[in-house]
Amino acid sequence: MSFGPLKTHDSRPKTTLHGTGNRISPVTDHLDQSKPEGASLVDTGLVRAHGLASLVTLLVAATFGIIVSIQLLLPDVGKDVAWLSWGRLRYAHTQGIMFGWLGNAFFAFFYHAVPILTGRPVTSARLGWWLFGLWNFAAIVPGWVLVLAGVSQPLEWAEFPLVVDAVIVLGLALAAVQFLPGFFARGLESLYVSSWYILGGLVFTLLAYPMGNVVPEFVAGAGGAAFSGLWIHDAVGLYVTPLALAIIYFVIPAATRQPIYSHFLSMLGFWLLFFLYPLNGTHHYVFSVIPMAAQMSAIAASALLGVTVVIVVTNLFLSLRGAGIVPRDPGLRFVATGTLFYLIVSLQGASQAQMAVNQTVHFTDWVVGHSHLAMLGFASFAAAGGLVHAWQRMPSARYNARAISGAYWLLTVGVVIMVSDLTIAGLVQGRLWQTDAPWIVSVEATRPYWLVRTLSGVPLAAGFIALLLGLTTGPRGAGLQSIAASDGAEPASHIQPRFAVATLTASEGV
Amino acid sequence: MRGGAGRALAMAYLVACVAGVMFFALSVALLGYWPKQVLDRQTRAMGPAFVLELGPSARRGRAIYAREGCAYCHTQQVRYLAADHARFGAPTLAWETRLDYPHLWGTRRIGPDLSRAGGTRSDDWHFAHLFSPRALVPQSVMPAYPRLFDGAPDRPRQEARDLVAYLNTLGRARELAGPEGEARAREACNCPDDEMMQMAFHGPLDAHPARARRVQDAPAFPRGDLARGRQLYAVHCATCHGVRGEGDGPGAAGLLPAPTNLAEHDYAPERIAGALWNGVAGTAMPAWRDHSLDDLAALVAAVRALGPSQVAGGLQASGTEPALPATLMELGRRAYRDNCVQCHGERGDGSGSAGGALSIAPSDLTRQRPTLARTVETLRGGIPGTPMAPWTSRLTDAELIAVAQYVRTLYTGPAIGAVR
Repeated sequence: MSFGPLKTHDSRPKTTLHGTGNRISPVTDHLDQSKPEGASLVDTGLVRAHGLASLVTLLVAATFGIIVSIQLLLPDVGKDVAWLSWGRLRYAHTQGIMFGWLGNAFFAFFYHAVPILTGRPVTSARLGWWLFGLWNFAAIVPGWVLVLAGVSQPLEWAEFPLVVDAVIVLGLALAAVQFLPGFFARGLESLYVSSWYILGGLVFTLLAYPMGNVVPEFVAGAGGAAFSGLWIHDAVGLYVTPLALAIIYFVIPAATRQPIYSHFLSMLGFWLLFFLYPLNGTHHYVFSVIPMAAQMSAIAASALLGVTVVIVVTNLFLSLRGAGIVPRDPGLRFVATGTLFYLIVSLQGASQAQMAVNQTVHFTDWVVGHSHLAMLGFASFAAAGGLVHAWQRMPSARYNARAISGAYWLLTVGVVIMVSDLTIAGLVQGRLWQTDAPWIVSVEATRPYWLVRTLSGVPLAAGFIALLLGLTTGPRGAGLQSIAASDGAEPASHIQPRFAVATLTASEGV
Repeated sequence: MRGGAGRALAMAYLVACVAGVMFFALSVALLGYWPKQVLDRQTRAMGPAFVLELGPSARRGRAIYAREGCAYCHTQQVRYLAADHARFGAPTLAWETRLDYPHLWGTRRIGPDLSRAGGTRSDDWHFAHLFSPRALVPQSVMPAYPRLFDGAPDRPRQEARDLVAYLNTLGRARELAGPEGEARAREACNCPDDEMMQMAFHGPLDAHPARARRVQDAPAFPRGDLARGRQLYAVHCATCHGVRGEGDGPGAAGLLPAPTNLAEHDYAPERIAGALWNGVAGTAMPAWRDHSLDDLAALVAAVRALGPSQVAGGLQASGTEPALPATLMELGRRAYRDNCVQCHGERGDGSGSAGGALSIAPSDLTRQRPTLARTVETLRGGIPGTPMAPWTSRLTDAELIAVAQYVRTLYTGPAIGAVR
């Protein structure tokens, strides 16, 4: 067993892609995606269905976002149409991104990755189609319709009404039934870190989501807000982050064809994240009446979380060595940039939780920039990378490499412009609020920044459309060809925790 | 199949799994349940025994506020920070939120915090503002809600009434608790050394800079810069009072009483200063205490420059008027004494014994001089939306004209001359 990063990386075969082949047990041999048996484990129909649903909901949710950003410049747009009003679209925007786009993209990726990680198909294709129908047509579509019709709850990241919340909880439970049994069947000691993130993400979201959505309806005011604060952070920390990291940890070794730098650091990061993320929540209400001890705990946990993310990202970057800053592989490229965004957004988050920073930037556009860096920069890049990665490996899927490359650049430019712009806007607002200038001065001062933010929607929308085109146009099977053309067959052994493989092989005498 | 090392690893993971669940439980206990217990204790100790619940209309209004995402631009949480305190009044105490299911604290402030918005604006202001925010605040980015109205700001539907009813309750609980409530909360807090908590009890609750006050305690204004004042007037005042001060701005449509026609009055500077600093309680005219004294002084100059003696040129340029025949004056004086003194006071300064009970304070005629036409029109038609009623049934035509002439002589402010 080798837990140390040094040993792991020293023993890494540099030249032969199949260098670890003699240590792959028969159990893992069929995971090689280039072989038909490996591919047959993956239900490509469900990958495709969730993938397309994710892109369609992404376009819809992004449209909501673009409209609300335009309404800050032209506030009378849509004023006579109730469902076009700013508040309702804002609800639909964030819930659509979180459950429609990211939810579907995560599921699409799981249908690709979980069979490879567990060595067995997911629980049931029929269950998969039920989950697909439930998630999209009993949760997201009705959620949007209800929110736009005025049936909602005014809680951040929990805007869908309780009846939709119930469907989402059911969906998460079905997803757990669909994806998790394979991990338990395989045995925890031989799970790769992506498996852990999928396990953790689904299980803890199932716990946190009802808390954030239901408790504030029954616990009044400040006490309810304490629970809301927990959920605001759990939504990002226990749902979005783990599932996005599952993708990143999967795609990097699969695309670079080298094992992750250190499985020990992977697992250390995993547990630290799951210990610390839930303890961050109260940093959303610094300087509030919530007891100062709770605020301080959350602020300290936020700082520790920043340190943890440095560990996680260091491991990921070291695993990317040789791939370049902008890797050639399109899925890997998205994922690598998403990792960089993850580092920035986490360090930003750790600092803005500190009182000295928080008192200026809280309630400003800085935070709006921060959440876009998290959801659009980090999570969406990871999700897009995972989708592209899975899509490339579907023999009959259309694949348009140029459109995907274009999507990458458009989205990168869009995110960088939007987040820098909102960050500066937040500092301007925060500063003005500390002067005795009338409130409206801060609104006036923000107008140019809002204009730039809306303009950043142009490359972003174009990027989303290019991503959709990249996965729906082009020749069928072009994705698989592009992998074959670059580096040939791809062994799956690198997604085995090396110490687990060592254990397995030792005990089996292979 | 598994060796000893594998078993050890599985055990380590099992321990970690249990720890993971425990940490989540810890987060709920430490950052959710425990704060709730502390806040509940605070609520019981610091809050009044009885808190007025929202009425049916306000409760429906709260649902509209929630539905339209108002909380996504307007927080309802004044933080324990000097900057928040200065802008929005006392920081939010736990007990004030004890009926908020769910809370509407919000996470972003595009518009101002509304925790203490109740009482800062009149209903007609709210209606006009909801109908068309930019009719009142041209730089506002707030969405308009004309669908809550029947086509005009003065024809609100039930939904608009409900929403305004809710807005009027914001901060109400703490105000109703009164000074005794504050003292009780402070005592129960028992936190004399906690600088942050003490902030919750600093200063008056109605410190909101837009909140109108009956008291006239404007500070001494510096000399105002007319050019600057005209710029500010165009942005902040013209929406209601109109570009030339004629009370015909786009925001005037829904307001009752209508915005004063500034072109029909010559004002003493302190009268304008008072209206700017204190607002005009009972009307849509808010206070403007969030503006600097220099800017307010500039506005005083700009408003004075709109007066009839300023713009007419020639005829009244000197500000003095031909003396009236003694008989007319006597008739006016008598009619004034018999009918107007109760509210406007003997000297016309609005200090009549009945004035204090009125929803809107009587005009101080010693500090403002309306045109004759304006005065006659007011006496004939009253001022709609104010306690000033028409006097045609009480006064003969001759008396009415005489009173109109007479009240214009009550002005004792600085000579009305060229402001420039």
